[in-house]
Amino acid sequence: MGPLIVNGIISDNTNLFLAFLIGIGFGFVLESNGFSSSRRLAGMFYGYDTTVLKVFFTAAIVGATGLLFMSLFGWIDLSYIYINPTYLWSTIGGGVIMGAGFILGGYCPGTSFCAASIGKLDALAFIGGMFIGILIFAEGFPLWEEFYNAKFMGAPLLSEVLGTSRGLLTFLIILVALGMFYLGEWSERKFARSDYQLNQK
Amino acid sequence: MKARLILAAVLIPLGLIIAAVPENTTKPYKLTAEQLLEEVQSGTQFIHPDQVADMLVSKDPSLQLIDVRNADEFEKFSLPNAINIPLTDILNPEWEGYINQDVKLNVFYSNGSNDANEAWMITRQLGFKNNYVLQGGLNYWAETIMNPEAPENTSPNEEFLKYNLRKGAGLALGGDAENTQSAPAVSAPAPPIQKRPKKKTVQGGC
Repeated sequence: MGPLIVNGIISDNTNLFLAFLIGIGFGFVLESNGFSSSRRLAGMFYGYDTTVLKVFFTAAIVGATGLLFMSLFGWIDLSYIYINPTYLWSTIGGGVIMGAGFILGGYCPGTSFCAASIGKLDALAFIGGMFIGILIFAEGFPLWEEFYNAKFMGAPLLSEVLGTSRGLLTFLIILVALGMFYLGEWSERKFARSDYQLNQK
Repeated sequence: MKARLILAAVLIPLGLIIAAVPENTTKPYKLTAEQLLEEVQSGTQFIHPDQVADMLVSKDPSLQLIDVRNADEFEKFSLPNAINIPLTDILNPEWEGYINQDVKLNVFYSNGSNDANEAWMITRQLGFKNNYVLQGGLNYWAETIMNPEAPENTSPNEEFLKYNLRKGAGLALGGDAENTQSAPAVSAPAPPIQKRPKKKTVQGGC
């Protein structure tokens, strides 16, 4: 049956419309989780607020379990799911740049738009910086083209690399995630700040 | 704290289940239009009558001929050991054991290649393996195996070799047919086939 778009069950336009609704839902969840606060996001780095870790890891394990069950029931064909190809060096490089920007600016691209929409000026500055970065990347592409395409690995799956089944790997990741939630809450108590209240927005 | 307990209580059992059950590999199979077009164009589904004749003569047990014409036509004439699955009836679950298996080499045939090709397309879209089509159908079969045309004297040796093989196979298989009631029917589909122009086009094609 699924994916809906690949199997022609919904049209491209319906797909865009659904994406629009899901986008609104995603923005709503980000905002209601306080992701429009740069302190909350930077708190992940300093350890006084690990909401980011908890929200995204919960999303990942719920999504992974859901997909595997849907595949088990024959509702979706997992071989049609797009998997980002891995270019090892640019992935590492991009991760470092993104992480540094995350700590410095207090936003990731999605949350910066979330915060800009409720009128935060620092988020607007962040978005401006993002566009400058995109411009530099695009205009200077020949300079880093080689680095960008280096060490192409196809689209490897962790379960294939480790030689386990997808289900077993998902179960292990669930255990790891729950362990990390525990660690995260321990770290929130350990690195708690007097000027920061955990559930502020 | 409590939220985490609820999350753990839900996700750990689900994770255990998903880790324990085997992965679902019987995916709903469907080729895209482009993939199917590519396969149809490359013609890998076709099996040449020579190969089928060879397997029949050597009584290869892996060969399963499937006649997709209707039952009347099948009664009149069929290839040795063929079973009859009319094209209109191919989705009947009764036949699934024959067309969805990975032991035998299924060869669909009809008078031409059209009906057999349709049967192949359907089974291909269903994801069944080992299904093929007799190239040119019974018409071409009658031309190449039952009434092979003798090569010209100037033809290369391979042509004579092929001709002898075909003639031998035709005799062996035709001889079988003579012992059965279907013998008179062998010649029945033959006349329309012996039309000269058609013969030439087919030969040009191969």
